[in-house]
Parts: sequence; C-alpha cells; structure tokens
Amino acid sequence: MASKLKSLKATKFISLLKNRQNTFNNAMARLPETPDNATAIARALHPKKQFVKVAEIIERADDCKSFVLVPNAAKGTKELAYFSAGKYLTVFADIDGMKITRAYSISSSPKDALNGKYMLTVKLVEGGIMSRYILDNWTVGTEVEVSAPEGHFEYQPLRDAQKVICLAGGSGITPFISMANAILDGDEDFDMTLIYGSRNKDSILFYDELEEIKKTGKIKVIHALSDEENCGDGFEKGFITAELIKKYAPENEAYSVFICGPQAMYEFVDKELEKLGLPKKYVRHEMFGEFHNPKTQEDYPTDIPDTVSITVTVKDETKTVTGSTNDSVLQILEKNGISAPSRCRSGECGFCHSHLISGKVYVPEHLEYRRLADHKFNCIHLCCSFPLTDLVINVPPAK
Amino acid sequence: MSKKYDVIIIGAGNGGLAAAADCARAGLSTLLLERHNIPGGSASSFVRGRFEFEPSLHELAGIGTPEEVGSIEAMFTRWGADVDWKKHNSTFRLIVPAKKGDKDTFINENGVEVTVDARMPVGFENFARKLEEIVPGSYESCMKAFDLSERLFKAFDALDNPAKLPFSIKDLPDIMRMASHTLKEGLDELGMPKKAQDIFNTYWCYMGSPASTFDFLYYMTVLHSYVKSGTGIPTLRSHEMSLAIDKVIRDNGGDIWYNSEVTKVIMKNGKPAGVVINGEKEVYGKYFICNSYPAVVFRDLFKETEIPKQQLKMLNARKTAVTLTTVYLGMNKTKEELGITDYSVFIAPDSDSDKQYALTKDFFSGYCIINCLNEIIPDCTPEGTCQLFLTTMTHGDVMKDIKPEDYKKFKTKVAKDMIETCEKALNISITPYIEEIEIALPPTFSRYLNTPWGTPYGYMLEKWDSMIPRTAQYIKDQPFENFLFCGATQERGDGYGCAYYSGEKAAGIAIKALKEGK
Repeated sequence: MASKLKSLKATKFISLLKNRQNTFNNAMARLPETPDNATAIARALHPKKQFVKVAEIIERADDCKSFVLVPNAAKGTKELAYFSAGKYLTVFADIDGMKITRAYSISSSPKDALNGKYMLTVKLVEGGIMSRYILDNWTVGTEVEVSAPEGHFEYQPLRDAQKVICLAGGSGITPFISMANAILDGDEDFDMTLIYGSRNKDSILFYDELEEIKKTGKIKVIHALSDEENCGDGFEKGFITAELIKKYAPENEAYSVFICGPQAMYEFVDKELEKLGLPKKYVRHEMFGEFHNPKTQEDYPTDIPDTVSITVTVKDETKTVTGSTNDSVLQILEKNGISAPSRCRSGECGFCHSHLISGKVYVPEHLEYRRLADHKFNCIHLCCSFPLTDLVINVPPAK
Repeated sequence: MSKKYDVIIIGAGNGGLAAAADCARAGLSTLLLERHNIPGGSASSFVRGRFEFEPSLHELAGIGTPEEVGSIEAMFTRWGADVDWKKHNSTFRLIVPAKKGDKDTFINENGVEVTVDARMPVGFENFARKLEEIVPGSYESCMKAFDLSERLFKAFDALDNPAKLPFSIKDLPDIMRMASHTLKEGLDELGMPKKAQDIFNTYWCYMGSPASTFDFLYYMTVLHSYVKSGTGIPTLRSHEMSLAIDKVIRDNGGDIWYNSEVTKVIMKNGKPAGVVINGEKEVYGKYFICNSYPAVVFRDLFKETEIPKQQLKMLNARKTAVTLTTVYLGMNKTKEELGITDYSVFIAPDSDSDKQYALTKDFFSGYCIINCLNEIIPDCTPEGTCQLFLTTMTHGDVMKDIKPEDYKKFKTKVAKDMIETCEKALNISITPYIEEIEIALPPTFSRYLNTPWGTPYGYMLEKWDSMIPRTAQYIKDQPFENFLFCGATQERGDGYGCAYYSGEKAAGIAIKALKEGK
C-alpha cells in the first residue's frame, strides 16, 4: 500500500531517542526543593496524626467537661489542621494496654484552629470506657494524640438550603457550637435556627455561650426541655417533635434539617421528620455513634453462641483470640490488645475496612456503608460487624 | 527476622496490582505494600448517603465484544479476576457552545446555540461517516487515519507474536513517521479539515497532551481502541476491579499489607535491598516494583546521595502532566427527569485542543466533561436517582494563593462554575436536585494518590518524551537493576489499561530476572 504520510520524514525517528537523552542530560541533577502547592494544602488539612496537649479544662456539668487542646510542638505538631465546622477528631488512647479510639465533634470554631486551639467536649456515657477515662485522667498538660479533622457533617451551599434547622440533643450540641461560631466569624453563610433538646435547665450544655450567640441576632436558639415542669418564657416544653420543628421552620421556603444527638434521639426525631415529608437531601445526620447490643435487633439471627474465636492476621503476625458476640469485631480485637485501624466507629468512614476470610458476621442495616464490591469480595468494616461464628480475618495495621 | 521476599511491590495502584498478580501467579514470594487502607489508587469508589461513586474511570478500552475478547478483559480472564463488565457502545459527544461573534452557529437538539455538537458512534466506518456529515470532506482522511492505526496494531501484534503476520515491512516507514510527528502534523498530512480534526482529537485530554504536542502514533492507538469496539466499565465501580485483583494475589500466595506506607528504601552495596514500613518495620526483598512517582519516591524514600544522577535530571527535565478536578453528584432525579441523554459529553469553550490546553492554566476555563453512570449501569443508584461526575483539568500552579482556610469556599466556587457550565451547555437544571456532593480538587487527589499536584497522569507526553522513545529506553530509565517503576509515569502515561500493562511489563522483567538468577 502506498504511504499516506509521504511528506512526513521517517528519518526523524532516528533523532527521537537522541533528543530525549539530550534533554535529560541538559537538566539539573537535584531534588525539587518543596512539595507542590496542592500537596502542601493536602498535608496541612489532612495530617496523618496530630499531637496535642490539654491547655485548659472547662466544667460543663457534673459529667461533662470541655478540653482545650493546643499543639504539642515537642512531638512534632506545630499547627493544628484547619477544618470545616461539624467535623470530628478521633482520639487515640492506651487504656491498660487496650488501644482504643473515639470520635468527638470539635466544638470550637474553625478560626480557633488557626490560633492553635481545638475544643473537644466529653460527656460521660453510661458504661463508656473512653469518656470515663478522659474525664478521670485528662488534666492540664496531658499529652494526647488525635486524628486530622474528619467527617461529612457540614454545611454545603450547593446541596443544602439557605435556611437550616439544627436539632441537637445532649452532647450533640458540640458541632453546632462550632457551626454557629463559624457563621459569626464569616466562615460559613447560612441561616441557622438551633433547637436544643435537654432534660432540664441544669442539663443544658454551653448555656452561657448560646445566650451570647443568641444576642448577636444572627442565629436563633430555642431550648426544648423534656423534664422541666415550669419551663418559663423562652423555653419550649417537651421533646423535639414535628410540630415544634414546623413552628420554627420557614413556611414557603426550602429548609434543611441537621441532626446530632444520642441514638435514642435519632430514633425519635427521624419518626417526627417523616411526618414533615422532607426530601432526603434536606435531612442530614451526624454519625450514629458506636452501636451496642446487636441482639436486640429484629433481624439478628437465632442460636448464636455467646463467645467465638477470631483468628486475625495483621501483616505477618497471626493470633487467635476469643470474644463475646455482643461486641463488634473491632471491640474484640481491642480488648485483646490488638490495635486495629478505626476512625468513626459508626460504619461510615471505612477506615477499618478488612478482609473476612471465613465465618459470618452480622451488620445492622442502618450501619451498612460498605461498597458494593466489598460484599462480593467479603470485606467488612470491623466497627459495625458482629461475629456470628468463629472468624478468620485479615486486618491492616493501625497507622 | 521476617522472611525475605522475591518481589516487593510498593503501591497497590493499578500498576502495582497488575505486577503483584503476575509475580504471585509466577510463584514468586510477593509482598504488595499500600499506604491507603484499600487497593486501587484511582481505581476505587466511595459512599456518600445512598450513593456509591465512581471516582475516576470514564471508560475502559479493551473490553471486547462477544465475538472478540478485548485485551484488558483478556488480562483479567488470564488472572482469574472476577469482574462483571458492562459494555458501552458509543464514544463521546462534543459540544462547543457559541460565543459572541462566532459564525456558523446553530441551535442543537437541546436548544442551545453551538458551533459544534458531535455525537460520535463506535466503528471506524460509522465514525468517519458521522464526521463527514458534520464536516463534509473529512471522510477519506478519517478512514486513512484508521487504516494507519489498523496497520499499527498489526505491527504491534507481530512484535509480540511473529506468528500473527501479516505485518508488512512496508508499513514500517509510516509507523516511524507517526511516532516522530505530532497528531496535528499527521492529520494535516492526511488532509483532514481543521474542524474535523478538532472533533477527531477530543480524547486528547485522556492523555493530557494537545494535538501540537501529542505524537500521532500514540493518539491513534488510543482513539482506535475506543472506536473499534466500544468500551466497558465494571458493574460495581472500579473498586470491583481492584478487589478482584487483590483476591487473585492472595489466592496465589501473595501478601498484601494495607495501611503500610514505605517510608524508606534500605540500600546495600548501591542497590535497594529492603524497605522500612511506617517508620518501624523492615522487610527485605530481591526485586522491587514501584507504583509511585519518581519525584515522590526520591524525595521521601532515598538519601540524595543514593539517587542516580540521571534520575534527578529526568525529574527536572519532565513536566508533571495535567491534574484533575472532579465534582461527584448524587441526584434526587433520574437522568430522564434531568434531561441527560449521553454517558459522556465534552463541553469545550473552544474546539481546538491546544487552546483547550492553554485555557486549563486557569482554574476553571469552561472545559468540562459530564458523565452519567446510569447511562451504562441504569441501576447504579437507587430508584428515582442518578449519579453524575463532572471533570475538568488544570496545569501549572493553580493552588498558589489558596490558604487552607480559604479552600472550602474555593472548592465550592469551582464546583458551582462547573455545574453551571454543564447546565448552560445542556440547557438542563442540576443544582436544585443535588442530594450528595463531593468535590475533589488537586489537593484531594494528592491526598489519596500521593502524586505531585495530585496528577493521575504521570509526566506530560511531549514530542521529545512520547510513548515510543519511552518504550525504547525503558530499561535505561530505571534507577537500579532490581528496582523498576510502573504506573502512569511510565511509557504509556495515564489510563487504567496503560497502568495495568506497565505493571505486567515490570513483573515480566522481574520474573525473568529472578528465575534466571535461580
């Protein structure tokens, strides 16, 4: 066949390799000095770990304290990662040889992070190992290791309505304190109405701060008190119901609802929200928190043994441990001194993604955030997988 | 003391996965190390609300038809990797919205005034006919181009397998011409009208080099693969492909350690002998295949004195390829309700690829690709919904003045511009129906891929550093005799298929060296 490219020179091919070699030879032989600006931002926002120290402790209630954390420069953290209001930090702790983690929403504003401060607020959870440990042991000067800010509970102007009704219960107030301050600082721009459910006046956390926020006139704050007989002016009596939400919601305008609180509150409020018939896009939950008592679930199978053995391989080490079927695989590993990766402990973040080689686990339906292919190839999220039989698993090391 | 591996593979991106699969299958003791907690690098997925998003794959050439098995499909079959493929039988639609003062504009089916609206089919003849319909006088040059690429593939086949002749030696000069001239020079020589060239060149962005820079040969192999028999994608997002290969590696006795970042390469007698993982654990190996970027590897894992001078020169001579920004949208309406009719629409402010490339120096220039996965996998999202992803490219220091505290607002602004560009170009409404949104800018990709600028594209394929010279000098380009790179930084540049091939190639060399050594 006759060539179609006759006037192009085939002989040019010969110089191709030579040109390339010459271009390399003429270049400088040194390492590029600094990482590029995209990598610099990635590193600033997502450090692998942050080393901090407790600088101040604020008593919020008998069973609740706020801890102001500042960078621990001696350990290598010089600045705190900036974040978007609503995010959480995972706290790493070693309690009697048990390496565990818990996620706590940041209650300080994003701007505070630029000034070297995060605030975490910890309320005692009944039977909670980490909250007990923190409240009993953290004092000014305590060195703490935390993750980068994580999570997806935040305002997104392209998705959420301009008007947002925020529903908080108990210590679920923490991300909203951060969001409110972010609005006042000009870092976020939405119309926030905060409905905060507490038992009684005495159990309201951040009461004074919320009064200050209210005074700015930029954010509405409503306290709903479930156990107070004589609420008095400026308070709503009872739980956060559909009616109450309606009372404060705009009438002929779209609005988003953000919810953060204990699991019992999610269950109650979700039913109330159904009555309002909001599209899914306008209802956003903070994560569920660690799930307990799988056996109370309706779809939990019968005839499951009380204890099982788990053979776990981490890198090149294999161990066999036993644990209760009431505990998640993650908890069983932790109780046996095996540190496994974890962040959100609510099924969502996927940080504890692992391979199930053999055996069966139970995953509560509302915590099912696995990817489709994870089901096909038997991968599990350790934090919300409860063993039903003896297991063989392959787990990445905790980083 | 931990065991000494035959091969240690650094990075479980597509290249690393392919290399590990081949090494393990060849019976070598194989350790694959990955800093992230799941495999795949770009080939992954993520869940937001009730949506699972495809993070990077647009389409995969090499997924064949029932009559003819494609090369990527064949690779997965050979490995025994279980992936359910969905076929796609069109290529792309290019829309160039009209600007003020444009002549030759018309109103397209969406009711938008445009200068180009080209929906290009699969099959050489179909493609050329469609091009002729849009730009009269382009048919012949288009068919000539495909004839060249047909002969090119025959020649490649013959190199791999001499029994697969006929390959005419007479084709060699044309192949040499194609390799040493640019796409623009090639198409000019074939007499293709400029407007037809612009449509023909739409896929330039998949490799990141425009027509005046990209070599004619390589572009033709890319376009040929897409047009010949269409494309495919995995049913369960790219995470399915990565986990399928993960399984092959384990089933063949290979070890994979996730959350295991190599923090140092241990040198002995001027050669790599082992690696340190997460700053603590040492593991030793005979051969190393590295699916990361030379710029990152030499900066982070070696002492400057250990690095061959030539490698440092290469780093400084090359330009990092374009990088991406992607907006992932979970929509609470179906694609029909939104009025989306195509899987892949390229929206360009200018039809010329060099002008498009020049424009990407600004953060968002109006160049945007919009994909709707439900076109290929109708049930990839719950009933009544669909997922979209919008992609644009940038190059240069686009993040220069952005501080961490400005980043969220900046991200949102870029996403808003991209969404509005698509809304205008397709005359549809997207914003009110966004249920989930995730915005990935170069820092996001840098975080997950650990590449300079977050690029998934490797180094720019330039005239002097195109695929053929890279291939010819592959061995010479490697830093040590027992340390090979694979992935997008190598001969073929970016693309899932390219990365798999590069891993396969590196594994082949390692297997041969180790077996001969024994």
